[in-house]
Amino acid sequence: MAISPPTGSRTRFAVLVLASVTLLTVGLRDAPVVREVREGASVVIGPVESAVDTVTAPVRNAWHGVTDYEDLQRENDELRSQIEAADAEGVQASDAEQQLAELSAALDLPWAGNVKTATARVVSGPRSNFSHAIEIDKGTDDGIAVDMPVVAGAGLVGRVSQATGSSSTVELLTDPEFRVGVRLSTTGDLGTARGQGRDDPLSVDSAISPSAKVAKGTGIVTSGVDRSAYPPGIPVGTVASSRQGSGGLALDLDVDPVVDVDQLSYLTVMLWTDGG
Amino acid sequence: MRSRRLTPLRGAVVLVVALVAQIAFVADLRIAGAVGDLMLVVTVAAALTGGPDRGAAYGFFAGLIFDLVLDSPFGLSALTYAVIGYGVGLVCSVLFRPTGAWPLAVAAVASLVATAFYTGVGHLIGVPYPWADVPAIAVAVALWNAALVLPAMAVLRWVHGPSQQPDRVEVLLR
Repeated sequence: MAISPPTGSRTRFAVLVLASVTLLTVGLRDAPVVREVREGASVVIGPVESAVDTVTAPVRNAWHGVTDYEDLQRENDELRSQIEAADAEGVQASDAEQQLAELSAALDLPWAGNVKTATARVVSGPRSNFSHAIEIDKGTDDGIAVDMPVVAGAGLVGRVSQATGSSSTVELLTDPEFRVGVRLSTTGDLGTARGQGRDDPLSVDSAISPSAKVAKGTGIVTSGVDRSAYPPGIPVGTVASSRQGSGGLALDLDVDPVVDVDQLSYLTVMLWTDGG
Repeated sequence: MRSRRLTPLRGAVVLVVALVAQIAFVADLRIAGAVGDLMLVVTVAAALTGGPDRGAAYGFFAGLIFDLVLDSPFGLSALTYAVIGYGVGLVCSVLFRPTGAWPLAVAAVASLVATAFYTGVGHLIGVPYPWADVPAIAVAVALWNAALVLPAMAVLRWVHGPSQQPDRVEVLLR
C-alpha cells in the first residue's frame, strides 16, 4: 500500500460501521436534518436524472418491449372486458355518489369526492430493490405538501413523503412502513392496512371482529376516522383471503390493492391534509 | 505519472456517475421484478482491486449517497455496503486471490449476502422487508454484478493506478 495513516484497517472499518449505525439511529428518529439533506439531494439530482432519463428512454422502452410484451397483451384483453362491466356500474355509482355528496355537504363531513386535486406525471419508479417510493413532477408550487393522499383513477396509491418546489416523492402503499386506517365496505368494521412489499397483498390484521363474515372480493376503503391522514371513502383494495388471526381475537385479511403500483404514469394528489 | 491528489476526485466522480446511472437507468430495467445495484458493483470492484480498506471506504460512501436519494432508512445502505466491501476485500486478499473469471463468482455471492444483510438489519430496526423477496432480488443483483464487475474493476484501476493490493500478511497484521 502507499502511505497509510497510523491507524489500522480494522479501526477504520470500525469507524465506518459506527458512523453508519449513528446515521441509522438519527434517521429512524425522523430527524429534520435528514429530511432536509434528502430534499437538498433531490433538488440537485432531479434535473440530472430527467436529462439521463430522456437520453436513455429508447433503451428502456426496448427492454420493456421484450420483457413485458406477453403480460401487456393479456392485460389488454382483461381490461377490455373490465371496462364494459365498469361502464354499467358507473351509471349506478354516479347516482349514489350524487346523493352521498349532497348528504356529506349537508352534514359538513369530509368526503374524498369533494377534495381539490393536482394531477402529476410519474418521473421515476423505485430507485432500488428496497425502495417503495416514486417521484412525481409536481411539488409545493402546486400546493402539494407532505402527507397528502395520492390516488390513481380512484384507488389509493400512497402518500406524499417528501415535497420540494417542483417535485415530490410518493410513498407507495406496498411499503412495509405504510399504514392506513381502513373500513370494510360491507360491515363497516374498522382496521389498519399495512404494506408487505412489492407484488404482495396488503395485510389488515387489527380490530376486524373475528365473527365478521368477509367474502372474497369485499371492498376496502379508507376509514377517515378522526385525525386520519386520509379522507374517508378512498378505495384501497379488495379482500383476497381471510383467516383467523393468532389468538382468535381478530380476523386477518389479505387485500389486493385496487391500483397496480407497477403501472403508474399519471397520479392525482388530493390537496387534503389532516383536518380538511 | 498522474497526480495522486486527484485520486479522491476521480473516485467521487465514479460514485456520482454510478448513482445517476442507477436511478435514471438501471432502476427501470427489471428482471423478474427486481433491479440491479450499481453502487454494490462499485463497492465489490473496489474491494477486489484494493483490499478491505478501500472496499469499506467505497462501500460506505457509495451507500451514503445512495441513501440520500432513497426513502429507506438513512444509513442502512452505507452500513451494508461498508460491511460487504470490507468482507469481500478481506476474503479476497487473505483466503484466495480471484483471477480470471473468479471475480464474477465473488460478485454474485456478495450480492446474495448483501441482500440478506440489508433485509436482516431492516427487520432488526423495525422495517420488515419481506424475506420472500430476497431470492429474486439476489438473483437480479447477482446477474448485474457479474456482468459489470470486470469493467468496474478496470475503472477502479484507472482511479487508483495499477493494482497495488495489500500483501496477505500485511492485511492480517494491521
